[in-house]
Amino acid sequence: MRLASWGLAAGSALAMLATMSLFAPTAAAKADGDFIVTAAPVYRPLAELRGAERFPKGAQLLLVRDGKAEPLVAGFADSADASVSFDGKRVLFAGKKAAADPWQIYELTLANGSVRKVMETQSDAERPLYLPGGRMVWAQRTQDGFQLQSAEDGHPPKVPFLNPTAGPGVLPLTPMRANAFPAEVIADGRILFESGFPLGEGRMPELYLVYADGSGVEAYRCDHGRARWGGSQLASGDLIFTHGSTLARFTSALAHETPVAAPRAEYAGGIAETASGQWLLSARKAGEAHYQIDQWKPGAASLQTVLKERGEDLVQPTLTAARVPPRRFPSDLHPWNYANLLALDSRLSLAGNLKQAPAAVRLETQDANGHVEVNGTAPVAPDGSFYVSVPPDRPIRFLLLDQKGEVIRREHGWFWVRAGEQRACVGCHTGPALSPENRVPEILQRSTTPFDLTGTSLHAAVQHGSPGGTSR
Amino acid sequence: MSLRSLHGRRIDSVWIATLSVLVAGLCGMRLWRPGTVGAATNSGSSQILNYASPEEMLFTRDGSRLYVLCQSGEVRVFNGATYASIATIPVGHQPRGFSLSPDESRLFVVNSWDDTLSVIDTHALKVTATWHVGMEPSSVVDDSADKYLYVANRISNDVAVLNAATGAEVKRLAAGRGASYITLAPNGKRLYVTHVYPNPTPWRTPPESEVTVIDARTAEVVGHIPLPSAAGVFHVAFTSDSRLGVVAEMHPKNLLPVTQVESGWVFENTLTLFGPAVGNKTVEVPLDDLENFAVRPFGVAITPDGSRLYVSCGGSEAVVAIDLPRLLRYVRAHRGPIVYDLAAGAHYVVKRIPAGHDAHGVAVSPDGRRLLVANRLDDTISVIDTRSNNVVSTIGLAGSKQMWSLQFGLQMFAGMTNAAPGQRRCKSCHIDEHHRNAKRMKLSTIKQIQALRRGEQAFYSGHYAFHGAMGCVNCHIDSTFDAMQWDFEPDGLARNIVDNMLLEGIRDAAPYDWSGVNPNLPTQGGPRTEKFIWRSQNYDVRTLADVCAYINSLPERPNRWRLPGGNLTPAQERGKAIFERTVDDFGKPIPLTNRCNYCHSGPLGTDHKKFDVGTKGPGDDSGLFVTPLLTNIALTAPYLHNGRAASLEEIWTIYNPQDRHGRTNDLAKDELNDLIEYLKTR
Repeated sequence: MRLASWGLAAGSALAMLATMSLFAPTAAAKADGDFIVTAAPVYRPLAELRGAERFPKGAQLLLVRDGKAEPLVAGFADSADASVSFDGKRVLFAGKKAAADPWQIYELTLANGSVRKVMETQSDAERPLYLPGGRMVWAQRTQDGFQLQSAEDGHPPKVPFLNPTAGPGVLPLTPMRANAFPAEVIADGRILFESGFPLGEGRMPELYLVYADGSGVEAYRCDHGRARWGGSQLASGDLIFTHGSTLARFTSALAHETPVAAPRAEYAGGIAETASGQWLLSARKAGEAHYQIDQWKPGAASLQTVLKERGEDLVQPTLTAARVPPRRFPSDLHPWNYANLLALDSRLSLAGNLKQAPAAVRLETQDANGHVEVNGTAPVAPDGSFYVSVPPDRPIRFLLLDQKGEVIRREHGWFWVRAGEQRACVGCHTGPALSPENRVPEILQRSTTPFDLTGTSLHAAVQHGSPGGTSR
Repeated sequence: MSLRSLHGRRIDSVWIATLSVLVAGLCGMRLWRPGTVGAATNSGSSQILNYASPEEMLFTRDGSRLYVLCQSGEVRVFNGATYASIATIPVGHQPRGFSLSPDESRLFVVNSWDDTLSVIDTHALKVTATWHVGMEPSSVVDDSADKYLYVANRISNDVAVLNAATGAEVKRLAAGRGASYITLAPNGKRLYVTHVYPNPTPWRTPPESEVTVIDARTAEVVGHIPLPSAAGVFHVAFTSDSRLGVVAEMHPKNLLPVTQVESGWVFENTLTLFGPAVGNKTVEVPLDDLENFAVRPFGVAITPDGSRLYVSCGGSEAVVAIDLPRLLRYVRAHRGPIVYDLAAGAHYVVKRIPAGHDAHGVAVSPDGRRLLVANRLDDTISVIDTRSNNVVSTIGLAGSKQMWSLQFGLQMFAGMTNAAPGQRRCKSCHIDEHHRNAKRMKLSTIKQIQALRRGEQAFYSGHYAFHGAMGCVNCHIDSTFDAMQWDFEPDGLARNIVDNMLLEGIRDAAPYDWSGVNPNLPTQGGPRTEKFIWRSQNYDVRTLADVCAYINSLPERPNRWRLPGGNLTPAQERGKAIFERTVDDFGKPIPLTNRCNYCHSGPLGTDHKKFDVGTKGPGDDSGLFVTPLLTNIALTAPYLHNGRAASLEEIWTIYNPQDRHGRTNDLAKDELNDLIEYLKTR
């Protein structure tokens, strides 16, 4: 895999556009702003999470300007997954020059129609999104499934990504044996992505968050059990996503989803919020075969058709207008070959609090073939705290043990920590709504050196904190 | 150009160097005084340019008049219905609190940096008396019988009881550390006193605060309402029947390693409810939710009908509107602690109303229909309709006419500068006055003043932290310190615990951080803060320069232990001799490097170098620490790099067994006391 040269451009796409008329769908009502959609004869929104093709009969991006739709780019057998830059000037998208090609990432400059190939990979690269600070994230097909990866997007200004493991090259973000697809870069700079629940092994679509350096992975909310995918963030900060085939919402005030009282229809994927607060969404009403693009004013009784094309699913509406960039995330990974994790009170869990502290915690990992390995056990203090060093960038999970060594609680799924990550959690699956108590964990009163669960002999390097001078 | 980076690596830091130049340029003059900006004119005479900086507000009982206390040293008087200006009454330096006498004929204002109380005749609208009070008076309340005035003194941690007629002090009542805000319950029976710094607790245990309860009739302390884990406690409000009290406070998590910010990991912002309405117990409830924080709750107001509770949150530039009956139902129905559940607010918070920079004091109109919020760093007051919870108007409080003119003149001047040759940008001669004002002051000076204001706004804002969770001022309360110790993450968990430092006078105190690793403020407040504190995109270059300029401009507050004229008491004189001595009590020479004034040299009491004075603890990577400033050291307990010494005495009686922190073990107790008396004058 290599990054393509930034100057690579496909040239006079505008001229080619003028000659093309493969698509000429018309808009039924004018949308509140220009937008891009993906048109496909068949769209299977969750197919890729399950290892299948979501556009089995191809797809093409359309630009809908002043109510009129036209192909966004020319010279592509397939194109999809448009992501508009924060300044509204460029569009990242996934494209195939020939139908047999793998999906690759390209970038269109809207002002002159020039297209450049952003990167060259041997396998599919899809669903690109711009990240703040001159970076981008996408889903890359690997031997373990689609994984999130990140790299510089090739445009100034480049903000130094102070991360020893991330340079101008490709940074893998989701080291696990499962599919993951980016859905949105939310305002706080984190990447919202879709994967199965339990993470790393389950098939129920769920929404997760990860920082731009791959650290801090967690579920957006912990009221699991519903198929959730396709999240988009509103200006208010609320997240709108597809729940089953209806819409639902995460709001800052609640630890669980709430339904969106949208008109009855089957919705597909994320929405786009216009400047006036209306939503562009992909929906198909009962009895209809294909998704169309509708506009909805939240609270209104009906959807207003914006774009409909016979025989085509119209999905992935994306506004072309400039928008406020998300906050850039300053990576703080240490130059270590391990990671440290602190649990404040492993007794606490949404699954029900344990009455007594576990005696020990066991760490399991997966080897390269996905086989489960036990890396060791570490003591748990009477207040439920433990502090361990773990192997980075691979699936891990914790199991709590009683005095007899019996498993009394097992973590759902797998997660990972990045090399050099040092992170803490309130309990074991307590969710983001539980704020920690202000006390020194007992385990840190015993020792400030983490218990070595790296499973390697390299733990001589594990000394409370980073080697060399540091700044607080 | 490279500097040593945050992980001991090297990073390109041209921009830091650029910032340093910017900051140095901005700080060519020490301009800032809280609420006021002094500047020299080109004529050489000194004048003070004021931002109004409204802090607190009072309505008269009939709502006809609105008093606004401005940090600029003024009380602005407005028509309570139309907000038309009636008068501006100059008071003392850094006024912080005020209240009306029961008959509303007198308005009492405490001037925190003058240690005085101004008595204003509300008919004549002028100051009729100025009384000397305690150290840094921060609020004043007249009892309902007009017998006593109660004044909270921040530095002496007490409440002075004054004769309301004469100002003569009757007695002092102990209160919490940094006693600052007093509220008289509507039934007139009791006063409730909060404090901004936590009370001393054993090292590495949660901070504790309290509300001191005073019987208004007898002027006796009758109780303490504990606020466990709170630090930074501000206003109290009551329902009109006095059955419910509400305290605005911060709930820091300083005992946890600062590995992340989300989910209230570093700070929560809370209310504590007390009184019969909640079963005469205390209940702490969060104001934050999962991704939105209500940073630094300060002012609290309850509508007369008890339907709404409003809390100003300066760092979030917002007012949190709470449905009070719903809150009470939730609290009564809920078993177990609520404070750690960030989803609890969904049961009672009805709206977060945008306000201005450092939304500060609040006041509800007597009819309950309007809530006023003083936006201290915007010089505005937001008027909120309590039925719709929307801001319906904004009252502008420009600083003095002069400042307003200068700002206007600056804009015009800039406009003219950019005009094409022969093109006249100024429409008419009625702005000539502004031009003249602008010309009288150098443009660069005006820009400096504005930069400091922007820096102060950023310093007080929670905008830059992840999820807007906190600002600089969370730990540097009112631009000072917080009396707590923190565990920053990069050097390990529960390692290298550091005591927070007072900011005043640090302009010339580089290098920064106890380890001295940060050579200048832009490094300390730039990438270091972004990565390990905010954990989110930091200031842009200009804002960082402004913040550093603001911090650099902070002056030292008056030292209350110095005698007028700089004279020393006999004890202080003896202590000074010990501080400067060269031989010990046994006549043995003290090595040069073990004399007090070797490391604690110069006007700031520091040589800016690192020494190992034997205070390295088991969690410290090194025993080398930069000599700290002695500025106003009497105020800043606890001491040493990690805050282990609860008092100045403990530095030498407990933590200097080998005489490595100066030769002190030869000193008699009286001599040590003298030394400390002298140190307090620094």
